[in-house]
Amino acid sequence: MKKLKNKVAVITGGSSGIGLATAKRFVEEGAHVVITGRREKELKEAAAFIERNVTTVAGDVSRLEDLDRVYAVVNEKHGRIDILFANAGAGTIAPLAAATEAHFDQTFDVNVKGLFFTVQKALPLFSDGGSIILTSSVSNVLGLPGFSTYAASKAAVRNFARAWTLELKDRKIRVNSMSPGPIETPALETTTGLTPEQAEQAAAQFASQVPMGRRGKPEEIAAAVTFLASDESSYITGVDFAVDGGLAQV
Amino acid sequence: MGKLEGKVAVITGGATGIGRAAARRFIEEGAFVFIFGRRQDALDAAVADLGPNAHAVKGSVSDEADLDRLYAAVRAERGTLDIVFANAGAGSPLPLGQITAEHINETFDTNVKGTIFTIQKALPLMGPGGSIILTGSSAGTTGAPGFTAYSASKAAVRNLARTWAEDLKGTGIRVNVLSPGATATELAKEALGEEGQKAYGAMTPLQRMADPAEIGAVAAFLASPDSSFMTASEIAVDGGLAQL
Repeated sequence: MKKLKNKVAVITGGSSGIGLATAKRFVEEGAHVVITGRREKELKEAAAFIERNVTTVAGDVSRLEDLDRVYAVVNEKHGRIDILFANAGAGTIAPLAAATEAHFDQTFDVNVKGLFFTVQKALPLFSDGGSIILTSSVSNVLGLPGFSTYAASKAAVRNFARAWTLELKDRKIRVNSMSPGPIETPALETTTGLTPEQAEQAAAQFASQVPMGRRGKPEEIAAAVTFLASDESSYITGVDFAVDGGLAQV
Repeated sequence: MGKLEGKVAVITGGATGIGRAAARRFIEEGAFVFIFGRRQDALDAAVADLGPNAHAVKGSVSDEADLDRLYAAVRAERGTLDIVFANAGAGSPLPLGQITAEHINETFDTNVKGTIFTIQKALPLMGPGGSIILTGSSAGTTGAPGFTAYSASKAAVRNLARTWAEDLKGTGIRVNVLSPGATATELAKEALGEEGQKAYGAMTPLQRMADPAEIGAVAAFLASPDSSFMTASEIAVDGGLAQL
């Protein structure tokens, strides 16, 4: 039986990596998805990959007027939201001594402010009893040189789940954060500012630290997010759900 | 098709409560389940309810010979083992000041020693793709008056998964902890009464106790390939109780 039959799901950062794999899985489980991303071309390719029951809206989560546009489309098309996967995130590498204000602002604008308003602006459309999943990161509890702003922003995300669990409890909306470990996505190359060689080295180093001895696949994260989105996790709320091959758990 | 089609599972403490609910769900998903418990009448009732894909073995996890009999039965009847849900547990409250050595030994014999040997003796039957699930508790990360021995034993269980994820590196066997909060098992409902259940439920953000089937659903997720990149994790299924 399909676990998300006729559910309406919004996925930010839905055009590649974890967001795209999750959108695909949600649709396979019977959902209609609205995916957002900053680039039209990638969104079109994502929609073709997902094949059916998908709507795309171009927009940047750090721009509030873009979020208004996203939800206007959702409202017009579906009139409600059952599942929100607030997944858009960014993070460039910058050591403490060299980080600029622009680096700091960009990280927090997308990961913290953007995610905050992604959820706030979804609430008027949200169905009671729905599920909200926030993409955090194993770095929310790890010290990673060069990743201090990213890790701090992801710790903020984890904590949003705590407060919002209580703020939304009367509407029976569950809120969980989901923390991936190192995953085989394009993000390591495209958003961190590493060269392909550096990215490959970093990936190998991450994998060696993971008890499972490898990086995860986007589909494995998608399976976990689907679980959190579905009634299978009906008694799970306020948690940080690590899908990290054990990296931050041991 | 079920997500545990053709899998063989062992569930200790499988005759009642969370273990029974997990057994029901595993069977619905296509698994064959060995349930292990101390009371023959409870095992008989469970098998009558669960049907032909459940097989009962009587014994206590704190008795190594009983565990040997359990795995001898698995080996004889199925040959391999894919999933172990080490769920048998015990714990009664005793306030600091009144704790006895017997009380500590009893609690740790079942919850810690019993869990260790339940898994150690299962390993020769397990292989790549195997999944081990240990029952922890929200008590493992919170303080509850009188629960010195129980909460310490459940903190120990949570930590077993950390070490074992490293010990099992390269085997393809995953190990995770499932930590329930207040769960409305038959035993709990009887002990708490209507008012008590309401009071326990009110402590959680979800404002209710869990149905055992909700814990069974999470166990099925951890047993299945849907959690293939998860090991050494603790999954709290507590309505948010110990998360905020």
